[in-house]
Amino acid sequence: MSIVVIDALKQRFAGAILETHAQFGDDTAVVDPDKWFEISRFLRTDSRCAMNMFVDITAVDYPDREQRFEIVMHLRSLERGHRVRLKARIGDPFGEADDDDDDTVQIDSVTPIWQGANWFEREVFDMFGVVFRGHPDLRRILMYPEFKGFPLRKDYPANKIQPLIEFRKVQEKLPPFGPDEGMSFGRQTHEYHRDDPQMIEARAKKPKSKVLLAPSQQKAPASQQKAAVTQQKAPSTPQKES
Amino acid sequence: MTTEAPKPSPAAPAAAPAPPPNTITIDGREIPFEKGDTVIKAAHRAGIDIPHYCWHPGLSVAANCRMCLVELPPPAGRPAMKLEVLKWDAAKNDYVVDTKPKLQPACQQACAPGLAVLSESSEHVADARSAVQELLLLNHPVDCPICDQAGECRLQDYWLEHQRKGKRMKQEVVHKPKAVSFGPTIVYDAERCIVCTRCVRFTEEIANDPVLSVRERGNLNEIVVSPGRELDNDYTLMTEHVCPVGALTSKDFRFKARVWFLRSARTVCQGCATGCNAYLDFDPRNNTPYRHRPRENMEVNKYWMCDDGMLSYSRAIEGRLLEALVNGAEATVEEALADAKGMLAGLAAKPDRVAIVLSAQHSLEDNWALYTLAKAYLGVTRFFVTGKPLGRGDEILMSEDKNPNTAGVLRLCESAPPRPLADLLKVADEFDAVLALGGDIEVDAKELAVLKTKKVVTIASHVGPLSRIAKIALPASSWAEVDGSYVNRQGRVQTSERALVARGSAVPGWLLVGKLGRALGFATNWKRLSELRRAMVGDGPALPSKPGSEVRA
Amino acid sequence: MEPLDQDLEEGELEMPADPMSLNLGPSHPAMHGTVRIVVELSGETITKADVQIGYLHRGFEKMCERGTWNQIYPYVDRLNYVSPMLNNVGFSLAVEKMLGVTVPERSQYYRVALGELARISDHLTCNGAMAMELGAFTPFLWNIRAREMIWDILEEETGARLTHSFGRVGGMAMPPSKYFKDMVRATLPRVLAVVLESEQLLLKNRIFLDRLENVGRISKEDALDFGWTGPCLRSTGVPYDVRRAHPYLVYDRLEFDVPVGSTGDNFDRFMCREEEIRQSIRILEQCMDQMPDEGPMNIDDPRVVLPEKEDVYTTIEATIQHFKIVMEGIKVPAGEVYSYTEAGNGELGFYLVSDGSGTPYRCRIRPPCFAITQCLDKLIVGAMIPDVVPTFGSMNMIGGECDH
Repeated sequence: MSIVVIDALKQRFAGAILETHAQFGDDTAVVDPDKWFEISRFLRTDSRCAMNMFVDITAVDYPDREQRFEIVMHLRSLERGHRVRLKARIGDPFGEADDDDDDTVQIDSVTPIWQGANWFEREVFDMFGVVFRGHPDLRRILMYPEFKGFPLRKDYPANKIQPLIEFRKVQEKLPPFGPDEGMSFGRQTHEYHRDDPQMIEARAKKPKSKVLLAPSQQKAPASQQKAAVTQQKAPSTPQKES
Repeated sequence: MTTEAPKPSPAAPAAAPAPPPNTITIDGREIPFEKGDTVIKAAHRAGIDIPHYCWHPGLSVAANCRMCLVELPPPAGRPAMKLEVLKWDAAKNDYVVDTKPKLQPACQQACAPGLAVLSESSEHVADARSAVQELLLLNHPVDCPICDQAGECRLQDYWLEHQRKGKRMKQEVVHKPKAVSFGPTIVYDAERCIVCTRCVRFTEEIANDPVLSVRERGNLNEIVVSPGRELDNDYTLMTEHVCPVGALTSKDFRFKARVWFLRSARTVCQGCATGCNAYLDFDPRNNTPYRHRPRENMEVNKYWMCDDGMLSYSRAIEGRLLEALVNGAEATVEEALADAKGMLAGLAAKPDRVAIVLSAQHSLEDNWALYTLAKAYLGVTRFFVTGKPLGRGDEILMSEDKNPNTAGVLRLCESAPPRPLADLLKVADEFDAVLALGGDIEVDAKELAVLKTKKVVTIASHVGPLSRIAKIALPASSWAEVDGSYVNRQGRVQTSERALVARGSAVPGWLLVGKLGRALGFATNWKRLSELRRAMVGDGPALPSKPGSEVRA
Repeated sequence: MEPLDQDLEEGELEMPADPMSLNLGPSHPAMHGTVRIVVELSGETITKADVQIGYLHRGFEKMCERGTWNQIYPYVDRLNYVSPMLNNVGFSLAVEKMLGVTVPERSQYYRVALGELARISDHLTCNGAMAMELGAFTPFLWNIRAREMIWDILEEETGARLTHSFGRVGGMAMPPSKYFKDMVRATLPRVLAVVLESEQLLLKNRIFLDRLENVGRISKEDALDFGWTGPCLRSTGVPYDVRRAHPYLVYDRLEFDVPVGSTGDNFDRFMCREEEIRQSIRILEQCMDQMPDEGPMNIDDPRVVLPEKEDVYTTIEATIQHFKIVMEGIKVPAGEVYSYTEAGNGELGFYLVSDGSGTPYRCRIRPPCFAITQCLDKLIVGAMIPDVVPTFGSMNMIGGECDH
């Protein structure tokens, strides 16, 4: 039944269809990667094929081949019920596995044709490093953004350990608490903290933060508070002016 | 099952007939053969596997396992040879008389042009293989979990491919002696033995020491060592190598590792100047080598290796210099290089006071690096070479020269042939500094005492007298940890592949020479092996980059 | 917590000019299985959403390349871990498609039966959890009680409540136990009773209906475009069920209906699953009637199926067979195959590439909820924060499957 699709493809894109086979009953066509987008659009719009259900995009790594990646796409038609597998072989012999900026292996994205290809292509990018031209939002999906390398490539060892990542600098996010921050209601009663030079220094260096409080909710002016505390601490060592 | 009617021979043409092509067909596929080939040899050359146990390309033909039986067409003009057999007829629930053609062993059948052999496409052959396999496993012990051959055992492979059924015998299996020590290296298990006699033929034909023979008859067959003797020649581990089942096992490798965890690297044996091609089997999980196996090379070692070579795999990790030593104390490589820089300052001004000792134990790359540093940058003119002392050799494989790269070092310094270390020790007063490669020397260690006052820097992979006397010793990778080229006694340049990850602080020797050169202020900047090799050959033919592509230099 | 002993001046008080960014998850009770949704809010309405998955990514596809074919079953179990038998069955069918074998009839019925039990437990969990997150705690507990009854059956059969690893290439790990049919026949009416009770609590509840109806709507064309399958697709009105469109195992002999919704909102998805529970119960009743009580469970090929343990310990041939299959793996012929079944969330596809050895070369798992979850940000933009909960819940995103 799906042979109809293969025949339509061969009729329309004779030169671009490099191989076809139907191993184990799955009709497959290997196509020229330059025609990837055109052929996909044909499969969607042509009435004989009418492939409106997007099923899967993935990749397989054959490091011994010159074109090491094989992008594999599965499609289905709701009306006709037939399925097809489309493959394209791409690769760049000089790409380095660990280089996160490596964008030498590219193919067109089919997200404009089927929106469902969005996350699947992101996953292929994440796992193999294949860049999809025209993808609206190509970034890592399953791994964290600081991940180095592309895990499903055959030369990525399964027991590789990633470097520890830096704490992310996110706008308006405070770094972890210093010794004088947080739990302020408890800290003030602990005497040893007041004299701690590290605490005093930290308090001096602390940036003024923008507080979203209604005027009625503001605390008493700080001078009043300090006076209260100074009274507490008067008998012991003199304090530095903060 | 068809009987072929004898075909009339075609009428001879008027002109002289063209010579028949030297090809036979196996299952319809045409393959060429050479004069004197048997069917199995021609198939082996073409990559077709006809199952066999007792045949070995390097030994004589015994034809006792009967596993390689194939169906051949009858000779022209004669009826096919048939045998009467009883065949089980399921419909009648009884045996019926049937005929089958007589099959011939492919290991004995000589090739003739146009011979049409049926191997996999004949159901008689399939039945025969299944029957042979059943009989071979009839009395076989259930030893797979403890047998070393598991994972590379022909009984296992051929059972799955050709038989896949149980055996029909219901009686107790025959019990024979197990774990019989044949000698210092080999253990024999008679229950697992299929009496293919490969070991018997090997010791007789190749090792020239016919100490093994077959005893008893029928299903009491077993292999014995001649009375009063042990299996103690120089090639005993080859009997374990040719044994297709787990009957002969090596005491050195028994129970150490399972073969499916081992990866193989194509290396060159470092035991002597023969340079037998080998596989180093190592476990990548714990970075340890477990054994050597011979690699086929018809020009160097054919299919064999000697015991010393087979057991030399442990030298990849034993006796190693793993950390840099400064005056005997451990230091980092950087510290040692800084000390070397200080110690050897002013060397370039007096190049004739520097002695360079190359090593016939190290690869061409290491030696070339030191040679280039000395000749091209320092301007040294006198070179010396050292290595392991001479040992025992024989006519079969072993060479007296126990260094793998003597010819390589000699060829390297063609313009200024290196002299043995003994000469250096005689004229030690003429030198202030010695830059040496390798730890082993061929003279007595006591004679090195004259070098105690000199500034000796040694780059070595193994600890030896020369590394102990050094003021600064730098750790080099062993032959198994880096790709290297070695020239054997025939003058062949052979490449050895990297197997293990370098231990300790060891880095390739040529890299250390480069760092030393840079510390002394020279531009020895080679960082990659490919760069070094290109520089080494200059305009000449490129060195073989992969094992298997050796060239005769 | 803001430090309270700070100097505050009037001039320092600022009202934010940027829209508020809120982070939901990944550690969040309503984010089923660790999903992080970063939303930008204007008041309570969501203006932008970024759904970030991958917190449960365990590298299954990479690990599958390091073992043998039969060693993939534990990984496959942990994909959609609320209906693991469906994953087992799907993977077995994929490898058997490559080998070109069909398992005996008894095994096929067994696979269908265990699969449908898993599907019922999946839908019970999904609907119960969604109701609980809306505040209806009781139906959740009742659904879990029904799920426990099903898990008792599965524990009796496979030995584990959740991660069975019960499928094998060429059959099943063990034949059904003596009491299988009786247990199933006794449990099904009780499960149905629980389902009815939960529905009575929920389906007439004004709050429940208001929160689910017309929330998270998706059109038929969009759903197909995004690659939706399963109950989520059927809720939009597309009657696509792999068991009907491409029948496998014995589904062509069983009578069941495929519930189809109309609007594609949360309520339709909820109801699709409820109806599917009833249909699965129907399938199970027929299976119990039709399943043969005797007969082989596994195919008869020594290259694929392990021998009996008594033979392994006593005969050399069975030892060799066991050794070859376990150590080297089943030698699946070289090639590639894509095989699909109806899992709890939709079309679960396996794209397997074999190089002829016992180790898989590539084992790609096409998760149904991956395609469904990629649409989540479109569904919640324009809705309010509380709508995220039932929308996300009705999609039945299982972290293990989405992130594999």
